[in-house]
This record gives sequence, C-alpha cells and structure tokens, in this order.
Amino acid sequence: MLKLENITVIYNQGQDNENMALKDVSLEANKSDFVVIVGSNGAGKSTLLNVILGKLKPTGGQYYLKDKAIKKLSISKMAHLIGRVYQNPDSGVFSNLTIRENLKIASKKGNRGPTFSRIDPKALELLEHLKMGLENRLDTVVGELSGGQKQALAMVMAVITNPEILLLDEHTASLDPKSARRVMELTKMINEELDVTVMMITHNMDFAESYGNRKVEIKEGVLKEIPERQTTAVYAM
Amino acid sequence: MIAIIEQGIIIGITGIGVFLTFRILDMPDLTVEGSFGLGGAVTVGLIVLGLNPIMALLIAMILGGLAGLITGLIFRKLKVHVLLAGILVMTMLYSINIRVMQGPNLPIPITRTESKLTNYEDISGEDPLADLFGDLEQEETQKVVAEEPQEQATQKSEIMNIFDNLRDGSDLFTILVIAGIIILILFVFLKTDLGTVLRGFGSNPEGVEAFGMSRDFISIFGLSLANVLVALSGGMFAMYSGFADVTMGQGMVITGLAMVMVGEIVFGRFKPLFGLIAPIIGGVVYQSILALVMRYGYKIGFRASDMKLLTALFIISVITFSMINNPKKKKQLKGKVKSLCSSSKI
Repeated sequence: MLKLENITVIYNQGQDNENMALKDVSLEANKSDFVVIVGSNGAGKSTLLNVILGKLKPTGGQYYLKDKAIKKLSISKMAHLIGRVYQNPDSGVFSNLTIRENLKIASKKGNRGPTFSRIDPKALELLEHLKMGLENRLDTVVGELSGGQKQALAMVMAVITNPEILLLDEHTASLDPKSARRVMELTKMINEELDVTVMMITHNMDFAESYGNRKVEIKEGVLKEIPERQTTAVYAM
Repeated sequence: MIAIIEQGIIIGITGIGVFLTFRILDMPDLTVEGSFGLGGAVTVGLIVLGLNPIMALLIAMILGGLAGLITGLIFRKLKVHVLLAGILVMTMLYSINIRVMQGPNLPIPITRTESKLTNYEDISGEDPLADLFGDLEQEETQKVVAEEPQEQATQKSEIMNIFDNLRDGSDLFTILVIAGIIILILFVFLKTDLGTVLRGFGSNPEGVEAFGMSRDFISIFGLSLANVLVALSGGMFAMYSGFADVTMGQGMVITGLAMVMVGEIVFGRFKPLFGLIAPIIGGVVYQSILALVMRYGYKIGFRASDMKLLTALFIISVITFSMINNPKKKKQLKGKVKSLCSSSKI
C-alpha cells in the first residue's frame, strides 16, 4: 500500500542552519493497517506526513504508493488516494457552508466545473453511523457545530470517496475527552469496516495504547517500530 | 432620484466584484482600481472605433478578467502578496488605460441626442456658437443637420450608447436587466460544484487542496471573475456618463467595500442569493448619501473631494462597531492581520 524506503529530509541543506528532519526513514503500511505514530514535538512527525502527502520532496530515498514510485502526484490524484484530518476542527471543513454543501464538495474529489453533483449516499450512511444527529441537520451552517461534530464531519468528508489511506494529525487534540473518544471510535470503524489504512499521529498515550495494530516512534528524525505493549514505556523515556 | 438609483446599481456591480474578493475569497484585491477604468476606457475606445456597445462591453469584460488573471498569476505563481500584486496590475493599467484612450479621457462621440434636454440648443433653441461665428456659420450647420435624415441620426445615437439619459425609466430598465442577468448567472454558478468550492475557499483555502482542487486555480479564477464584473461596471458607468477618464477607478475599492458593508447593514444576517443583492442595494444607498451630501453638505463647508475621506471613515467606523459588538470577530481579525503580515514575502 504505502512504502517509504530510506527517506531523508534535510532542511536548508548546505547552509549554516542545516537541519536533518528525517534520517533514513523506512516504513511500510499494508491495506487495513492502523499505524499509530508517536513522538515529541519537533521529532519529524509532520515532516513525515508532508512527505507522504507529496507536499515535501525528500532529499533522499524512495516513496511508493500502491507499488508505484512517487515523484510527483497531482493534487487531484493525491486527494483520491489520501484523506486527511488535522488537529484544528476548522481545517477539515468549510465553516461558512452548510453540512449538505460540505458533503457535496467531499463527494467529488478532483477538478470541478459548473456542474451539479449530488451527495454520495455513503456520506449520509456514515453520518447516521455517527449518531450525532447531523444527518437531520443538513442545512445547518458548519460554523455552528461543536468542535467534536466538526471533526467527525471532517472524517466523514475525508473518507466518502474511499481513499486508500487516511492520515490523521493529532485529530483529537483539541476535543473534549467525550468527543475525542467518539471520534476515535469513528476512526476505528473507518479502519475496520471501510478497510481504509489509517496512519495516526497522536500525543494521547491512552489512544496510542488502545487503538492501532502497529505503533512507531519518531525520535530526532529516526523512526523505529515499537513492539506491542511497550508504547507507554517507550514514550515515557 | 432615478439617476441615483441608476448610478447606484451600476457601481453596485463593482460592489459584487469587491464582495467576491473580500467576502467570498477573503482576498483584498486592488486590481479593481485599474480594471474599473479599463472597462470604461476599452468600452468607450471601441465605441469610438465604431463597435457595437454591447460587443464593446463584452470585450471590456474579457480584458477585465485578464487583468484579474494577471494579478492572480503574480500572487500565486510569483508568491507576491495579493495586495502588492493588485497594486502592480493597477499601476500598469493606469498607463494602459491612457494608451487605450490616447489621452487621459475620452468622450463617446454623440454630438447631439434628440432626447437630451441638457443641450444648450434644446433649452434655448439657439446655437451657442452663433455669436462667435455669425449667422452664416449657423445657416451652414442647420443645412448639414437638415440634410441628415432624422431616422439615421436616431439610429446613430442608439448604436453609440445603450443609455439615453432620458430619466424616463428606460435606462433604469436596461440597468436592472443587466444587473438581474449578472446576479442570476452568479447565483446559479455559486450553486454549482465549482461555485460551492469557491464559496468555501475563503473559510478554508488549504481544505480545497485536500479535496483535490488547486488553490492556485481557485484564487486566479476568483480574481478574474471579480474583475470581469468590475470592468463591466466601469464600461456601463462610462457609457452612462458619456465619457471614460483615467481617474474614474480611483477609490473604487473603498467605495466597493462601503457598498458591501452598507448592504450587509441593510440585510443583517439575512443573505438573499448568497448576499449578491446586498452590494447593489448598498450601491443605491451609497449614491443616495453621496447625493445628499453634495446637495446639503456645502452648508457645513463640505466639498465633493471630501467624499473619499468620509467613505474611508465610514468603513473604519463600521469595522470598529462590529468589533465592539462581536469580540469573537475581534479575535478573528487579529489573527487575520497577523497571518497577513507573516505571509507577506515582500
């Protein structure tokens, strides 16, 4: 599914402030994997995500997606392959539009023209699955929703078109514990029932322990796999 | 009063352009200052060359869109701040507009329109130059006019301008039809897939990429679309005034913003047709205030040239009041200013 081979990223190469953000990072994620990525601030987690999203060209190494070496992917193609949800609930939705309009945008990834598309029925099914009552409030402006509701909607929007991978960058960090738990349950459902490979960055050790079938840690740009049941111990070091 | 409504609706179309960039795209575009004049210059310039006024307006709209496209390319591809990109294009357009008009201004060459009562001849029944050139000259002029068939003269005036300044409602009807068509097209467009993305862009520009659309494309497209409308407004304004002037776009961004704000005050939270009507109503209210100030302001020492100062003060006061009434907005604005300052590369 996704394979990183000896990825190295050096910022400001050849300058006084040269910084090696990733060192020979190798990672393989298969279909339906739920990979939890932990690491302290500045360890290189976001750099890794930017490489996977094609926003950052690595200084060295190879990146494969669905067994194809990736040099440069179009924004449209990347959106089809990878869904993403970030920490800020407003970054995954369009706050000034209604839930219906948000789902309409998410139902068709890639270039759009002056056409009229319909909401993918799957989007409504997913909304019903959330049990937040959002399916009955389709004409509500998203800006009026709570952070947890927005984040849940963002997750639904990210997976409507069946991406291969769902990248989650501390997506529960700004939510209250109850909403965070609900969003994590949705994450698990997406992984298990929709068969989407999930790569989740988190600082929440409870979630790192409870969710995911694989855990990796990034420390000073170096990635290593954490054996099962050692997550807390490794992170506490 | 009818003239105020007519002018208000015409510049209200510029207000829609400003609404698109400032409110929908969240991008302050100063190209408007140049593209309004470009619309006027190109429309009048082409009419002078003998082109049909509707065709002249259409070409002016295309060129206005091109001006927006160039601003968008400078902004997104050269990574120049959108404000500076707009200033660069606006500055270029100043010279271009003078070239188009082959001078700082250009009148629509209608020497005489039967319907106009503003002509000296119509009011007095005399030739104003009679005293200078004597009876002989007057007789010759009368002969030339007499030889020209009446129908042909009328036809000529129709070809030169879509407005007749009759104040009988025909101009208002034409203006309302054009504004109505524009609002209808924009409303339908904003409901399409591309239009929905465009409306969402202002609140989450990065999000657009996550759903597979290029941020560059949306920015450039939005800026072009806004300037198409501004050029149309400029062209109509020039035809309505009977001339184009290189300074006619000066202060149009602030005027446009004032119209948007006035419209928002009138409608409040209610946004009919995605808020597209608000700038038109704002334009009419703005022109009414302008007319009142012109008529009675002199009593308190007010001059016409003070209007821009008042407009800017009005915008500052609206922002101040909205911040006092909405602390959340204050926080948002603070963040926006911070991001504008930090994202500026130049």
